[in-house]
Formats: sequence, structure tokens, C-alpha cells
Amino acid sequence: MRCNSSSATCYHRYRNVVLPRSETCRFRPSRTFLILFFLCFVSLPRAFPADSNSLDDAVRQLADRIAAIPNLHGPLRLEFHADANLAADSTWQDTLRQELEKRRLPITDEPSALLLKIGAAETPTQVVLTASARIADRDDVRIVAFARAALSAPALAVAPIRIARQLVYESSDRILDASALGNAAEGGLAVLLDRNEELFAIRLDSSGAIKQTVSLAAANLRATRDPRGELTDKGATAEVLLPGKICEFTWAAGKELNCHAKKTEGRTATVLTSPCDASNWKLEAKGDDWSSPDLLQIAPDAAARAGSAALFNAFPGPILSINGELDPGSALIVARNLRTGNYEVYKITLLCGN
Amino acid sequence: MKFTKSLCFAAISAVLLFLLAAFPADAAKRPRYGGTLRVELLAPNFSLDPREWKSGSFSARQNEKLAALVYERLVTLDDYGRFQPALAIEWSHDAAAKNWQFKLRPNVKFSDGTPLAPADVVTALQIVLPATLQLTASETSISIRSPHPIPDLLEQLASGPHFIFRALPDDTLLGTGPFYVAEIDAAAPYEANPLATKPARLRFRANEQSWAGRPFLDAIEVTLGEPPLRQLFDLQVGKADVVEVAPDLVRKARQDNLHVWSSAPNTLLALRFDDAQPASADEHLREALALSLDRDTMANVLLQKQAEPSAALLPNWLSGYAFLFESPMNLERAKEIRSSLPANEAGGTEPLRLHVDAGGDLMKLLAERVAVNARQANLSVQLASHSTSASPGAAPASSANPPLGLHLFAWHYDSLSSRAEIDSLLKQLHLDPAPENAQPLIEPEQRFAEERRLLEERRIIPLVLLPEYVGIATPVRNWMPARWGEWRLADVWIERGEGAPPAPAGGAAPDNSATPHGRGDRP
Repeated sequence: MRCNSSSATCYHRYRNVVLPRSETCRFRPSRTFLILFFLCFVSLPRAFPADSNSLDDAVRQLADRIAAIPNLHGPLRLEFHADANLAADSTWQDTLRQELEKRRLPITDEPSALLLKIGAAETPTQVVLTASARIADRDDVRIVAFARAALSAPALAVAPIRIARQLVYESSDRILDASALGNAAEGGLAVLLDRNEELFAIRLDSSGAIKQTVSLAAANLRATRDPRGELTDKGATAEVLLPGKICEFTWAAGKELNCHAKKTEGRTATVLTSPCDASNWKLEAKGDDWSSPDLLQIAPDAAARAGSAALFNAFPGPILSINGELDPGSALIVARNLRTGNYEVYKITLLCGN
Repeated sequence: MKFTKSLCFAAISAVLLFLLAAFPADAAKRPRYGGTLRVELLAPNFSLDPREWKSGSFSARQNEKLAALVYERLVTLDDYGRFQPALAIEWSHDAAAKNWQFKLRPNVKFSDGTPLAPADVVTALQIVLPATLQLTASETSISIRSPHPIPDLLEQLASGPHFIFRALPDDTLLGTGPFYVAEIDAAAPYEANPLATKPARLRFRANEQSWAGRPFLDAIEVTLGEPPLRQLFDLQVGKADVVEVAPDLVRKARQDNLHVWSSAPNTLLALRFDDAQPASADEHLREALALSLDRDTMANVLLQKQAEPSAALLPNWLSGYAFLFESPMNLERAKEIRSSLPANEAGGTEPLRLHVDAGGDLMKLLAERVAVNARQANLSVQLASHSTSASPGAAPASSANPPLGLHLFAWHYDSLSSRAEIDSLLKQLHLDPAPENAQPLIEPEQRFAEERRLLEERRIIPLVLLPEYVGIATPVRNWMPARWGEWRLADVWIERGEGAPPAPAGGAAPDNSATPHGRGDRP
């Protein structure tokens, strides 16, 4: 259990793990597209439940407090002063207008109406909503604040290119690698992550729910600022490639971890097979600067043609791992989202078509 | 036609070469270990002892940056508003936020190899936390008890001087951080030219035993007391990797295509009235001066748009409500008030004497602008050259000097808690909180009310807010500082043409010949 000062409540260690969601997918229509689009559409409503609730709750609370200001009568003229991030999405402003009207404080654009200044700012730890009205030569100010960690940035738009990209999992813990489950019928995912300087392998079902967690502390790894590891699910067992050693464990037993020293080499470039003409395409990324967004390059796997017909897919942060799946047409990409600070697993699928 | 084809071919070749260069054969390139980061700083002196730092001072800002290489805090705050475990791995508090428990990370060692104990944490924090807090150590954790709620304790512990260190009997301070102090060369005259002074240098080496893993860099070399133009030149010619850029040089640096990073505005330049000169006690005089000030010109002309006008004590990024404070220039009203004042108040033979507390040409220019603005409202302000302490709230001038009525001072925000920042400002400026605010300002509305009271009293008049500007050399990677100014150099690495080899596949850091040293981290 860990406790957070701002909420004054303790939360379970897995609380920060967010269930999978899809991003808005933009590419040319095909049957696969339509299926993926349907999946995107179906999963969108649960994309940002925590964010909208926190901000909406705070907006409602602010409306309550504004309505309780003595001698404040409508109609009101609103003037917003919001930080760039909060100004970009005006939904909360509309919510505030509606909430004020519900409390019999109509909103108008009339210059003669009483001015109500509304501020929205992100401090290092909080989102602060402020309302100020001048009544009888005195500014009446009401402030509502909530933890900024409860508010994450809206998803970045996905570049409109000829590959399908789906966000399948995200976590505030550092994800090192992801692997499709050996039993493809399950449609789940295995993830290797670093939580508070300790490695864990986690098995998730197709809905993103955690089925099993295996601690890899017994591997006795040396602490590093650039933790690396590769996870390969083999059905009932899994193999983890760590610096200087290979570890194997059984999912069912949960705790058995057998490690032996071995000179390990990182994964070679992931190559996908096009569903159109069976040509091979290599996935590459820079991933060398954690402070900037990354580009995934998908290039024909032939030296003579390198770069000539490459596709690029922009990611919201550095790409940390690329792992081919059982399906030769898709791969799992681990990247850090610099907008939210979360680590994300994307599924990339090559699509036939222009 | 042939020429056009050749052009096309050349263009396509260039694009291909670029792509090949941008995407090497490896599936994903990783950070490299090795190399020395060369940092140049403006201030000539330093102290790695948090017990000696003066809140709000420029020197504290620089000291904090250097100390962050050597020491660590219990928790850190990431860019997304989440507290992250550092030397504490778990924490909890009661519903009233009066009693806090921190479970310490096991197996953490100081740079001399001795283990971190809860008693070390208590000793280090007791000095820098308010005396009303009671700290106790148990086997694996520490407790902090307070007579009043401290919901912002994590904000405090994640910033300012709240580092964990161990003081040895000879006053050497040990840390658990990513680096340790390997060498200190004090400033000294050059042998060849005794009239010139060789700047002080500090060399930090990577701590191989850091619980979070060895930093990517082998070493960080810090040169102190380098003048701004020299720093910029060194960055341009590749003699420095990270330099401070003075606000008046930012435009030039950007014109020269240098990479300049800027923080959120983390330094306030403001005026403070000093009752040593009786005229300062007149609130009408203070109001007249406040109304005469042209902050827009100060920010946009004098500081070349590298600062922003401010009418608040705390910046909006820290308080969230600063936009509510407005103080527009109103020369007519200022003149009107001035005409009702006695002629000898800030006039005739008794000008208001203004002292510039912080050093630097920009501060002097700003002070001159204040005097010009005041003159437009028929107020006489004269720059005084007293040799007083360069800190806000300094003692009055010696008897040999005429008394001062006004100070221009700089205040650096060093806490992530807006409440702690207001408390600290009041304490340093010897201003009393409102009687109803003698208790901690827990609610944001209480803090707003207190700030409004201070501003309405006009004992302090905010002028402009300055960000921190840093010039970064091209080979520097993973430059990911916090927007409030923390540099986070442990994750930085360098990509030089002939630099250190990349980390081996598999990820372990290469063995480094530098040992975690046998000497302590020295203040």
C-alpha cells in the first residue's frame, strides 16, 4: 500500500495501472479498418474516466461555491484565464456554464453584466480553479484545487498513415518490454516492468486485467538508470533476457524463477511481413533521447531499398522497445508518453492498401 | 532537363543519406555511458551545506543545483504532478495530515559505503524543517508529527534544502546521490598572471553504488564565477556543455542558433520599503510609487521580453491565482496622490534612497527605470550605493550612510509549496503575518487572502518575473529538467563524435575505473 498526500487516501500498488484503451485511428477504409474503428469507438468512452471526473467534479464544486457567494446575482459575464493545456479543451468551460445556469446564475455576453473571472492553472502538484467576482468594491474569490496527477493530457492524434496503431496498455510504472501471450487465442499480453527499482512480469488478459504478477527480484539485478530486459511468453512459461543472464519462470507456479548467467544480446531488428505481397518491412526507432518524441520507421527490409519507401509513425515520446508478435503482420511497441509520463504499449499492424 | 534530373537525384540522395544517418542499423539506440559534462555557472562561491543556505537567494538556487548531484531527498516530484519514491519508498499520513510516516529504502549507502540510517534522515531534516515538527526514527522508517495539518509536506520535502546527508565530525557532508565530489579547486591567481584570477572548479564523479544505478556521465566539471559573455562564448566554441544565459543575452544566443532552455519564471524582482527612512512608512507614498511603475516597459524593453510583468508575489505556476492580482500603471492617480503628500517626502533634499540588493547590471538598469518612473509622478528616488548585505531583509545601513527607504531585491522560489514559499518570504523580509493567519495557510483561499493583504499594504511591490535560461550544447542528450528549474543531470548523457563507447547490449554499465572514493563529499 502507498499513500498519497493530496488525496489523503491509501491506494493499492496497482492503482496507477490503467486499463487498455484505443486511440483514434485514422487510415483508409478497409474491412480491418472498420473492425478496428468499431473497437476504437466502443472503447473510447472509458478512455479518460479519471480525468473527466476529477475536472468535472472540481467544476461542479466551484459552481457550488460561486453560487454561495453572498449577494451574487446573475446574469454573469464569464472571462476565462486558463493555462495552455486547460485552455485547449473547452469542455470544462461549457460544463461550468451549464452548472452555473442550473444554480440560477444565467450567463450572458452583455458587457454590462457582472464579470466573473475564472482561472484554471496547473501548479506542480495541483490543478487550481479560481473564480473572482467584484461585489460591493471587494473581490470575492473562491478556489478549488485537486491533484494534478488525476488529470492527464488528452491523447495525441495518431499520424494518418498506412499502418494501424492501437494503444493496448499503459502504466505509470516503467514498462521495459511487452510480449504477446504464447497462447494467441487468449489475445492477452505479458509485460515486463520496473516498479520502484524492482522488476515484475505481469500477465494481462485481453481486457487488460492483471491475471498474474511475478516478481523477478530473485534475479538480483544491479540497479541501473537505463533498465533493460526482454520478455518472451512461451505459453505456460516465460523467458526474460536480462543483462548478463536469462531467467525462466512458470506462470502457473508464479514464484519459480530460474536464472543462469549467459552473455545476452539484444533483440535484432523486428521485421514484419506485409499482408499484401509478403514483402518484409523492418521496424526501427532512435529511442536515444528520453526528452523528445520519437519516430517509428517502417522500411523495406532490403539494403538496396532502405529509406526509399519508408513509413514514419510519430510517437508521443521515446520508443523503448520493439517486439514482433506471433502474427508476422504486427508488433508491440513500448514508448513513453511525454505528455502524461506514462509508459504505453502499442500494437502496430501492417495493413494492405494505400 | 539533364540539370533538373541531376538536381532531383542529388535531393533524393541527400534525403536517403539523412534517413540512413537518422536511423542506424540498430533497432533502438540507447543512452551511452561515459564522458564529462562541462558546466559553467555565474556565482563565484558555493556551499553544499543546506544548513547554510539563505531562502530565496541566488546563491541558494545555485547551491541547490550542485547539491542535487550529491544528495537526495525522501521523495521527488515528476513533471506530471506525481510524487515518486526516492529515499522513502512508501509514505502515509492520518486523516488530518498531522502525523506522517515514511518507510525508508533499504540498502542505500552513502558515497563512503556506510549505510543510510533513519537517524541520518531525522538529523538532516530536523535542521531545515520548522521547529514545530517533531521527527523520530524507528528501525526502518521515520515519523513526522505536527501540531497542525501539513498537507503540503511532500511538496516541501521534494524541494528546497530538504536533502538527506550525514555530517561527519570534521563537517564533511556525505550524500547518497548519483555523484560525489572528487575535487575542489578554489579560485586562485594564475601563476603566469597574478592579477587575473583562475575561477573555482568542482569535479563530481559518478557514484557507482548509487541505489538508482550509476549515472550515464563519468563526471561533471563545474566552473564557477564565469561571466555571462564568457559562458556564451565557451558554449559556442564547444568548451562548455551547459551554461547559464543571462536574460539580456538570450536573444543573441537564439540568433546564433544555440539551444536555450527556459524554466517557468522562478525569480521575482521586487521593491521592498524600508522604514529606516521615515517617508517609507507613509502608505500614500507607497501607493503613489506603486502606481507610477511601468512593468511592461521593464519586461519588454529593459529585459527584452525575457521576463514577464508581475503584480503578484507568487507566480501563477505556483499559486494558480496570480492572474487575479493587477496593478496597472496610473500616472495621473500617482501624481494626484503625490500632490497631497508633504513636499519633502521623496522630494527636494530628501529623495527616497533605493538600494539594489542583488548584483548585476540588469538590476541596476531596473533600479534606474524605477527612479525614472517615480520622477514622472513627481517622486524623487535616488540610487544609493550602500555596502549592505545583498539579501532581502538585510540589516539597516551603517550609521555612516544615510538611511535607506527602498530596496530592489531578487527572490528565487525554492519550494514547491506555495504556503512554505509565502512563509519563507515573510520571514526573510521580517514581515508579520496577519493575526488571523498566525496558523498555517492550509486552504488556497487563505493563501490568496494573505498575499492580497501583503500586496495591499504595499510593503513589497512586485515588478517582474524572470525565468532561468540555460544554454545546452548539441551533444547533450536527455536534458529533461523540471519546469521549476531542477536540472536532473543524473539522466543526462553525451554523444560526442569520438566519445565513449555505447553501453553493451544487455544494458549493464561498463565497469568504470573510478571507485566510489575514499573521501567524503566535501562542502
